[in-house]
Amino acid sequence: MDTRTEKIRAAAKRLLSEGKVDVVIGYRAGTVPLRNAPYFARTPQEADNLIWDSNCRVNLATFIPRRQGKIAVVAKGCDARNILNHIVENQINRDRVYIIGVPCEGMVEPALIEARVPEGQTITEMVEDNGQITVKGRDFAVTLEKAEMLRQNCRVCQHRNPPVSDELVAEPVPETAVDPYQDLEELLAKSEPERWDYYRELVKDCIRCYACRDACPLCYCQVCFVDETQPQWVGKSQDATDVMTFHLLRAYHCAGRCTDCGACESACPMGIKVRQFTRVLEKSVKERYGYEAGLSPDEKPPLTVFLPDDPQEFIK
Amino acid sequence: MASYILKKSDLAEFVESLAGEFPGGVLGPVLQDGKIVLAAAEPREFRLDFQNTHLSPKDLFFPQSEKMLEFTANPGEEGAFILEEVKNQPQRRLVLGLRPCDAKAFVVLDTIFTNDQYSDPYWAEKREATVIIGLDCNEPCPTCFCTSMGSGPFHEEGQDVQAVDLGDRLLLKPLTSKGEEVLKKAQGLTPAAPADKARAQELKQQAEATITDEVETDNIAARTVMELFEAPHWDEVQERCLNCGVCTYVCPTCHCFDIQDEVHEGKGVRLRNWDYCMSWLFTQHGSGHNPRPDKKSRVRQRFMHKFKYIPLKREGAIGCVGCGRCITLCPVNIDVRDVVRDMNS
Amino acid sequence: MSSEFEPKIIAFFCKWCTYGGADLAGVSRLQYPPNFRTVMLPCTGRMDPKFILDAFRHGADGVWVSGCHPGDCHYIAGNLYARRKFTLMHDFLAGIGIEPERLHFSWISSAESTKFQQTAIEVINTIKALGPNTRLIKRELKVA
Repeated sequence: MDTRTEKIRAAAKRLLSEGKVDVVIGYRAGTVPLRNAPYFARTPQEADNLIWDSNCRVNLATFIPRRQGKIAVVAKGCDARNILNHIVENQINRDRVYIIGVPCEGMVEPALIEARVPEGQTITEMVEDNGQITVKGRDFAVTLEKAEMLRQNCRVCQHRNPPVSDELVAEPVPETAVDPYQDLEELLAKSEPERWDYYRELVKDCIRCYACRDACPLCYCQVCFVDETQPQWVGKSQDATDVMTFHLLRAYHCAGRCTDCGACESACPMGIKVRQFTRVLEKSVKERYGYEAGLSPDEKPPLTVFLPDDPQEFIK
Repeated sequence: MASYILKKSDLAEFVESLAGEFPGGVLGPVLQDGKIVLAAAEPREFRLDFQNTHLSPKDLFFPQSEKMLEFTANPGEEGAFILEEVKNQPQRRLVLGLRPCDAKAFVVLDTIFTNDQYSDPYWAEKREATVIIGLDCNEPCPTCFCTSMGSGPFHEEGQDVQAVDLGDRLLLKPLTSKGEEVLKKAQGLTPAAPADKARAQELKQQAEATITDEVETDNIAARTVMELFEAPHWDEVQERCLNCGVCTYVCPTCHCFDIQDEVHEGKGVRLRNWDYCMSWLFTQHGSGHNPRPDKKSRVRQRFMHKFKYIPLKREGAIGCVGCGRCITLCPVNIDVRDVVRDMNS
Repeated sequence: MSSEFEPKIIAFFCKWCTYGGADLAGVSRLQYPPNFRTVMLPCTGRMDPKFILDAFRHGADGVWVSGCHPGDCHYIAGNLYARRKFTLMHDFLAGIGIEPERLHFSWISSAESTKFQQTAIEVINTIKALGPNTRLIKRELKVA
């Protein structure tokens, strides 16, 4: 068993039996391979269902807003950053949330793995061992390098260790030193029509299920702009302009708050790379204001503050 | 009705011989951007080795966005704001390779869109103009539970022609007069031998045997609506539900929609779009009251509708066909099989 | 044909400055083309990025937002918060392939009628040169 799993269970049992928290939010094994479920353990016995593997993609900070009582959350680097976001945005007090930090080696992208099994076959089991992933099905078994199967956001992740936690279940992992925006730079170097075509093509399969919004820890508004009717900011149909407007406004609402956790992309049933919208903004926020979301509970988000000499080269 | 054999190598000839009959096109399963979709394509691109289409085929007859009525919105103009029918009489289409669960879903939706009280013309016209050739599942997926939901890998309802994959050949069995007529006009067919039918029967038994996952529903019928409504397990389900629309939009039997008017540069359209009961706006009243005010009441609605309300109204028929799409695509792994087991306990 | 193109521009002006500047330009008989429709805002801090997308969606060829010079905000700092919102919106729309020349921002006080006139001419000419907007616009409902 993964030592992280053991440590998470031990921490959860301790916190629950000592009555320090009412619930531990973590993951349990899914009913189908490659898909874990968020799990809410309320008793030390239930804590035995908690697990940790490479399929813990859901960002558990999503479940914090409007929740009562004391809670503990199993948090990867990105989840912990989103918890800090919630603290900064007054969604929860620091003393009500206990962060069980998990230094994270990245989560896998099911589509990449599914593309490597024989056509027409279904994966019925996945096992992990020492950086390798083996998936099995009715008539096959394929072993893959986990590093090659990671989600794109995990590949370029700069904060694999939780910036703040109440306890860590493993030694911190080394941070990667990759340029997170290399592919975006290449895209931005293209002409405007080419970029527009790229983005239009990106969302052509969107079915407007709003899973990207609902899986996002930042999207906790009581009434989302897509549900506003007077005025109606975005049409409800499959019209390409409305689909694009939804994606633009969704991304903009995450500006300066997004941790690039990839929950939106992992939730998408159509495999749309919705992070390509939010990343443009995060790059801009980082370059212009030197800010990355969720690294400190004391730093204000960039759109809630200003400096007298903020850049304004485009303003007449 | 006589059955036929179609060699897979003759599929192109078969499709081309029918192309003239179907000005609306011949649609089949094709691989697009890594996903199986139903689309018009060259016959050689049609795939017969897939598991199921990524999304349900309900949009064949119930598109996600559909224009219903039109009007001009220039006050003062003659006929302004008078709603007119949208003139788009559907053309005859042939659909190949539809899985039995999805075909069964059309039967479920028929009872909703075209019943003795009301017939929805938008659904009915398209349904009428389409001939469906199914494709039985020799190898059901681990998430399939069709056999528990009144369907099955070789289920016949909802198709005009049933097709069984016999390796290098397909066994085609007409199930309706519409299907028989089409096969009579098609080329590339030879009569089926008793051995072929026996082989199909064998495959059917094999396929059904691979679905070991039984999801019983008999007890749901025995429990009262209020008992199910107040069951404690909804608290567990709702806790991780995101209230997104994935399960509803990928579901072959979810059929709720919302009607809106849109006006652009003087031209108005009344359209209907898919809608989903997980959305708070779905039940929001003009007064501000919302009868389903929380996550729990919304997620409960989806399961209660399929497994209690529809059976109550439709003489026990379940509103789910067991295709398993919602299981594989739910972002938080809410497994309908487990929910139904809880409801049935 | 392009010489005949008259762009539709939606202008959002702060009531404490640019709106007054436009008034002053008017009473001073300063001439500028009539291509923009003005929406008065209480402050550019009220400016929501949704307004910009909504203007495009309803057929605007360009959007112009103008408020008080930094330091002159009637509400102390509304325009300074707004500046960050504009910056990100500017970068974002450019990033996804909307011509940045369709989106204009300026600081014009109520005394700067000449700057108002000059900026109006510049905004209109830039957008005219780009031609009609084809992106993010919804002239008719396009569904299958």
